[in-house]
Amino acid sequence: MPTVSLGVVRSMIEGTPAPRNVFVPFRLGQVVGEPGNAAQQQAVLRATLGAVTRIAEPGGLLELPFRWKRGTYPAPVGMATQPPSPVDA
Amino acid sequence: MTRWWNQLMSRVYARVPSLSERYGRRSGTVGEVPLPPLARLATLLSASRVGIVTAGGVHLAHDPPFDMQDPEGDGSFRIIPGDAAAGALRITHDYYDHRAADEDVNCVFPIDRLRELVAAREIGSVAPRHVGLMGHVSGPQLERLLDRSAAEIGKVFAMDGVGLVLTVPG
Repeated sequence: MPTVSLGVVRSMIEGTPAPRNVFVPFRLGQVVGEPGNAAQQQAVLRATLGAVTRIAEPGGLLELPFRWKRGTYPAPVGMATQPPSPVDA
Repeated sequence: MTRWWNQLMSRVYARVPSLSERYGRRSGTVGEVPLPPLARLATLLSASRVGIVTAGGVHLAHDPPFDMQDPEGDGSFRIIPGDAAAGALRITHDYYDHRAADEDVNCVFPIDRLRELVAAREIGSVAPRHVGLMGHVSGPQLERLLDRSAAEIGKVFAMDGVGLVLTVPG
């Protein structure tokens, strides 16, 4: 089954690579993006899923071109009602 | 080590990425687990069913929480229904700072974003079942994760016709 793994700690990715690895220089706990930033989260998710066809070798690593709090992202698509989604803390 | 100390250190690590990098280098590798050949998508991404495995300690609020008492972690897993509302979820994980994910679970479990990509026809469908794990496992708990949980998770996704699995850490 195809998998793609997103991570924010490069040394861990390189030490224990998954079949397909995507690195984004974000914070632990905000791997997909900041809370409530749907545009950023969508961009990271889209690029990560897209890596499934871009990574050609087992253990391959794709670094996403995003920068924490300094990136610009396309307007999110497919949104109906999407405020942040708090868990039952 | 107390839970309080682990939670405090998780906030320090979130603020100082170099500490996490150093931790990763010291952790080394997980034995000699060979990488399998790459499995290819059976269909276009726009027709694929996507499942998520989050290692961020996400689980249904009414399910048993992950074990925070065992210093080697918890190698079990929890099923997260694809239609679960964020308010029905909870995060139990002392080893990363999940205050942002408590505010918006998509930070570590991008289920809303996945639904939006389906609505935009960029992916085919959202899996009916996803998986929550606790990262930060070692020793017997790591063996439990690799030897038992992983196979069971694979069966769940295969049964549900999942064509692509996204894994996300905490």
